Amino acid sequence: MRKLAWAALGAVVAVALVIGVTDRSPATDEERAHRIGRTVMCPACSGETVTDSQAPVAVNIRRQISQRISAGESDDEIRDALATAYGERVILTPPKSGVAGLVWVLPVAALVAAAAGLVLAFRRWSHW
Amino acid sequence: MNVNASLGTAAVAIGFAASAVGVVTLGVGLRRRQEKLLRLGRTYALVALVGVVASFVVMERALLGHDFSLEYVAEHGNRAVPTMYTFASLWGALEGSIILWTLILCAYTVAVTVRFRERVVDPLVAWATLTMLAVSTFFFALMLGPANPFQAVAGRIPLDGPGPNPLLQDHPLMAIHPPFLYLGYVGFTVPFAFCIAALVTGRVGEGWLATTRRWTLLSWGFLTVGIVLGAWWSYEVLGWGGFWAWDPVENASFLPWLTGTAYIHSVMVQERRGMLRVWNLSLLLATFSLTILGTFLTRSGVLDSVHSFTQSAIGAWLLSFFGLVVGVSLGLIAWRGDRLRSPGRVDSPVSREGAFLANNVLFAAFAFVVLLGTVFPLIYEALKGDPVTVGRPYFDRMTMPIGLALLFLMAVAPVLPWRKASHEVLRHRLLWPAWAGAAGLVLAVVVGARGLAPLVAFGLGGFAAGSACRQLVLAARAARRSGMSPFGAVVGRANGGMIVHLGVIIVAVAFTSATAFSHGDEVRLREGETATVAGHTVTYLGTEREETARKTTVKARLRLDGGQVFAPALNRYPNATQTIGTPSVDVGLRRDVYLTFVEAPKQPGGSVVIGVLVEPLVSWLWIGGLIMAIGTLLALVPGRRRLPTAPVSEQPVTGQVPDDELVTA
Amino acid sequence: MNEAVASRARPRTALWVAIAIGVAIALLVTVLATRDPASSRLVRSPLVGRTAPDMDAPTINDAGRFSLSDQRGKWLLVNFFATWCVPCQQEHDDLVRFAAAHTGAGDAAVVSVVFSDETSDVRKFFARRGGDWPVVADENGTYATAWGVARVPESYLVAPSGLVVGKITGGVKFAFLQAQLARFEAGR
Repeated sequence: MRKLAWAALGAVVAVALVIGVTDRSPATDEERAHRIGRTVMCPACSGETVTDSQAPVAVNIRRQISQRISAGESDDEIRDALATAYGERVILTPPKSGVAGLVWVLPVAALVAAAAGLVLAFRRWSHW
Repeated sequence: MNVNASLGTAAVAIGFAASAVGVVTLGVGLRRRQEKLLRLGRTYALVALVGVVASFVVMERALLGHDFSLEYVAEHGNRAVPTMYTFASLWGALEGSIILWTLILCAYTVAVTVRFRERVVDPLVAWATLTMLAVSTFFFALMLGPANPFQAVAGRIPLDGPGPNPLLQDHPLMAIHPPFLYLGYVGFTVPFAFCIAALVTGRVGEGWLATTRRWTLLSWGFLTVGIVLGAWWSYEVLGWGGFWAWDPVENASFLPWLTGTAYIHSVMVQERRGMLRVWNLSLLLATFSLTILGTFLTRSGVLDSVHSFTQSAIGAWLLSFFGLVVGVSLGLIAWRGDRLRSPGRVDSPVSREGAFLANNVLFAAFAFVVLLGTVFPLIYEALKGDPVTVGRPYFDRMTMPIGLALLFLMAVAPVLPWRKASHEVLRHRLLWPAWAGAAGLVLAVVVGARGLAPLVAFGLGGFAAGSACRQLVLAARAARRSGMSPFGAVVGRANGGMIVHLGVIIVAVAFTSATAFSHGDEVRLREGETATVAGHTVTYLGTEREETARKTTVKARLRLDGGQVFAPALNRYPNATQTIGTPSVDVGLRRDVYLTFVEAPKQPGGSVVIGVLVEPLVSWLWIGGLIMAIGTLLALVPGRRRLPTAPVSEQPVTGQVPDDELVTA
Repeated sequence: MNEAVASRARPRTALWVAIAIGVAIALLVTVLATRDPASSRLVRSPLVGRTAPDMDAPTINDAGRFSLSDQRGKWLLVNFFATWCVPCQQEHDDLVRFAAAHTGAGDAAVVSVVFSDETSDVRKFFARRGGDWPVVADENGTYATAWGVARVPESYLVAPSGLVVGKITGGVKFAFLQAQLARFEAGR
């Protein structure tokens, strides 16, 4: 009886997730512009994104992003173009390669090491 | 002769002397085992408190009396600012905020000496008092050195000052956000001091943890409220519609919160089974160290931030103090840590102990990610010379899996028995919470939420909420059975904790919703024109101009959805020549409509640019924060008296939910 | 039996973890201690090594029309500033000194570009603080965008050939400018 309840639960969750993940209208140009803008820092502000800031240069960059989206460029192409114009520092995510990539790798490595440590500790403590 | 400067400096000097002499006296008393000297600890703490209270009074006198012969008043005071904000400007800038910090610290020190007066000759208490006095000495030294609040103005005394930073005026939240934060930060000095004492004396197995538990929980509560208030202030004042930007200053306050939260969970394992001692010591030492590091990152100007304070030589002092604290902490752990581990063992990973251990690891990982992201730009630039930015997208992406894992733990841990759990037990206890999670997920999908990560978050949130509610229902039944008032179902550590969990879940859901599903746009409107943006109609009615002695304000009057009129504004302060935007928000339970005045008309009657942002469920962030605060207060109420716990045994406790309802197979 | 084994070979976990964390923190503190809080730094910029973007505009302080191409043959300090920015106010004296030191020889000049500020405020500022070099307005921020100006104050050092050789953030100091000039001259 209880097994049935859990099975039903699993089914409901699966269906809901499938609907939730697949039933999405493609992002409009505006939404894309917002999303890209959220990953680009306004160069004249301390840490605000281009989408959030009202500084003139941020408004300018927003316009550039919209133009590039209309021209059909991809997200990455737009980001690269902005990085060339304003410097790598305006891209809010650090690059994935090179020394800077460490910032992505280290946390994952730390978590894996911690998990390994826990497993070893449990092995040592009990006959598990 | 500058009266205020002299009085103030004298008061600080008295405080410094009392703390320093107190440290020496207690040190000698401990070394030579002279009880008479140990008893003097309280006296010195009291004198230090008198000194800092006097300096606080003198500074307020100078601020409220507009004594511009003091540099601090000359730089931050202004005759036209309302009294409440002038009072609050004491902690609005660096030097004055140190006075507030030291005041709270000395108050806590005296409270500790009073609370433990029966055990004043116990070396544990003496070492703790010594540590607290040592920290006080440092902060008094700051005030005598690089951060002197009573510095006299060099040259001509101005007739008026520029006033506090425009962003710090005009909002009561700014007045109360720092005191709450400091009550939290400084409060953690107490358990830190006891940690040091425990490590030095080697007495980690005793009840020092239980006795300081309430201090820690209270400090944690203050810190939580302080952080939520900061987010609320950011939302209401800064005008970008957001509340958390993973800004270095925000991260600085969040780091000690993370390790502190891990501690208040992990300490339950030590109380119940005497285990995880070294973990707990380390978490508390880390929490205090992180408050100092956070203060350094905020005050030294080393990192760029929206909240940047002015730079001064204080950076070197704070960094050195951080180095000292970490050095002493790590040294003590390295020396004593392994010898002080408990003999108990965690029997199975699927148990309450196992869950708390996993909890510790997750929170430590969380803190590591946040710390790494915050300081990485500095390290990278030191090594390579190139700038690199680590911003919101990084933090969001890296912390999300950890956040989801924590939600999962929040659901499962309260139903796990101690020592060992069988799958039967788990499946029985988790069924209803699991259905609650499914219901949450389905509801979210039905309402229109899309995207894997937010949906998983909503589902796990429902799961965790179901688990917390289950615990509360069981507690209510237990209370009724033993004839207690129904109020007994919500007080005490376990029940208060469940309420705090509910608050956290609400905050998590609101955070996910407001971040993932906020949408909006900017629109240019002529006078009288209406536009539909993000599902709402906005009519621009015209501008209004207000000029006072303090600022010039231009407001854009907007009618939202044919109903109420809102007026986001652009303010210009005479001494700042920068326009600061003030948003106007239509607050609602289901969503906020956040209106900003982006561009003023270039000529009278011209068009304006208005920003409209719809943020679903954002009000629940503040409601969730309030629930967390209430839950903390309820958790502080003493539950039924517990039987003393031997290190490796478990005791049934009346009035709380019986954990092992079923016999474990 | 397990207990006995455990107590004989006591794991030194705490010791090793403490050492590891200690090393990491020591490195962190070293880095933090040697950080220079954003004052007079020579930083990298995508413009360095490229020809300076053109600038041709009327000046707001009666210095005629300013054209960047006319400045070939001498060093040029292009200074982006605003009157509301405190480090800009602080660096102004150094700019005056630098301009004065080179007017005679004519080997270096200064041009200021207004960043997000009112022209009237700028005129008042210059009237009060001195400085007679060309000041160019930048109403739409076109120049700021073209030069990749992140915040004020930022200054660009342009060589006599028209190449951008350096970008200075955080306010300039007279001695620093002279030293940079000497360095680049020697390097050529």
